[in-house]
Amino acid sequence: MSKIKIGLPSKGRLKDESLAFLKSKNLEVVNFFGERNYFFNIKNNKEIDGIFLHAREIIERINDGTLDIGISGLDLLKELPEVYSENVKIFKKLNFGFADLVVAIPKDWLDVQNMADLEEVSFEFREKYGRRMRVATKYPNLTESFFLSKGVSQFRVVPSLGATESYPFTGSSELITDITSTGSTLQANNLRIINDGIILKSSACIFVSKKIKKNNFLNLIRR
Amino acid sequence: MKQALENKRLKEDLSKKILNNFKKNKFNFTDLDLLIDTSLLTERSGEQFKKFTLTYKDLFGKEISLRPDLTVSTALKYIQEKKNKEEKYCYYGSAYRLDKGGDLKVFDQIGCEIINSNNNKSENILINSILEPLKKIKKLQVVLGDVGLFKILVESLELPARWKLRLVKNFSRREYFEDMLKRLETNYDLDQQAIKLDTKRLKDLEKLDPNSIIGGRTVSEIVKRFNKKIKDPRDNYKGKKNVKIIKDFLNINSSIQKAESTILSFFSKNKLSNLSIKNYLRKIHRINKEIGKKYSINFKTNFGRNTDYYTGVVFLVSVKKNSKIIELARGGEYNGLLRTLGYSKDVPAIGGAINLNELINL
Repeated sequence: MSKIKIGLPSKGRLKDESLAFLKSKNLEVVNFFGERNYFFNIKNNKEIDGIFLHAREIIERINDGTLDIGISGLDLLKELPEVYSENVKIFKKLNFGFADLVVAIPKDWLDVQNMADLEEVSFEFREKYGRRMRVATKYPNLTESFFLSKGVSQFRVVPSLGATESYPFTGSSELITDITSTGSTLQANNLRIINDGIILKSSACIFVSKKIKKNNFLNLIRR
Repeated sequence: MKQALENKRLKEDLSKKILNNFKKNKFNFTDLDLLIDTSLLTERSGEQFKKFTLTYKDLFGKEISLRPDLTVSTALKYIQEKKNKEEKYCYYGSAYRLDKGGDLKVFDQIGCEIINSNNNKSENILINSILEPLKKIKKLQVVLGDVGLFKILVESLELPARWKLRLVKNFSRREYFEDMLKRLETNYDLDQQAIKLDTKRLKDLEKLDPNSIIGGRTVSEIVKRFNKKIKDPRDNYKGKKNVKIIKDFLNINSSIQKAESTILSFFSKNKLSNLSIKNYLRKIHRINKEIGKKYSINFKTNFGRNTDYYTGVVFLVSVKKNSKIIELARGGEYNGLLRTLGYSKDVPAIGGAINLNELINL
């Protein structure tokens, strides 16, 4: 029988908490080939072959069938086209990695409280400056559908790879959407979350391939 | 394969005849660019437009789209050729759009456009030119609308300015528009608690240089809008009553002969100012006088909302075949489109196109 292939986040808090979660289920991750090697095994378990990957990569690999199981963020799955959700199923939502994807504006935009205000300001902005308001984000798809569902159509997405909070103050965008767990980074960068601007409530999840069959490993982590 | 070749030949024969008709009406044939700079489309219609266009990046990372619409291509032609007077274009070609499943659909069209004309008969000339090649088709139906009428209705309602703007700007987005009407009925859009807190912070903001920029907006712009917003009527603007008027207005459906009187009596019945509407209805009056007798035309206030660049008269020509409605041609006025594509100002423009894919099947 072929082994079950699982993917875990390769760095950061998500990696630490994933390892702790597995340990709490008596599934200890071991690196036989050293700390820097990406491959791992589970102690006393010969059913599993594991690999550490970037959280985004985990979803991609479950989608293409290279992995059977993985731990990653819900936000990352939801950002991908719908076809991914057909191939990658949420097996269990985990009790860590909580974060919200939110719409944040400069805190001094006192006249903007909610998305309806943003809708109005975006029209005025277009009239006044002859261009659309720019929204910097690492989540273009989720941002776009949320803005359109709230009536804000006069915007343009500016893809960001990091330090998104700085964009409104460097002239690269007027506002942002970003993932936040406490809001403190946004606050420290003079940004404020719009009242009804929560796009998605995310957490870490165990994702499985739609082709996966019932197995002991899933029984162990389900509990 | 044989059928496809036969269809191609049919389309070419038809297009020659129709183009000759257009040329007789002094339309000049133009070859339209197949590719469009995607940023022009997204700047005008927003990010959602990309979902319906076949787009790729060139070697320099610039996004290019297959033309999704021939009216936009004609408008771009006018801008690229640096025209500043009336132009009457006609064309024959395909528009390319992706459907919801991501499959490419090709629409073969033949059409004409009048851009930057001061002639107040432009609508008649254009609609006539589109209807002329179709006039021999039995039981031809024409639906006429005018999206500009809705703007006049909204202006005459007792509503806060922000609501007027929202209703007009989102008129073409039906689903969201319905959602907005629900919000208007309940007057839900302001958080009184947050306004109190922000009023305190306003004083700090007012101490700053009014021209300084915060997130792309000036301090004076933010202060001005905040003050305007808190003074706007909030709780007493009869949301329910206004929603009823809007819904009733959008149900108007009459023959073109009765359109003018029906709309005028609607305004007086609802005690709305009819000064600007009287003037505006002259256009419908002219269309009725010249075309109303030749064709069966229905006037619907709710018609023509799906294309966001239409600003005035809109029309659809169809025929019923085996209880199915076949759309043969459509068009409308788009007085704001050229400016959003980069022209220096708004110019009057109207266009229409015949759907060859359907026409050859009749």
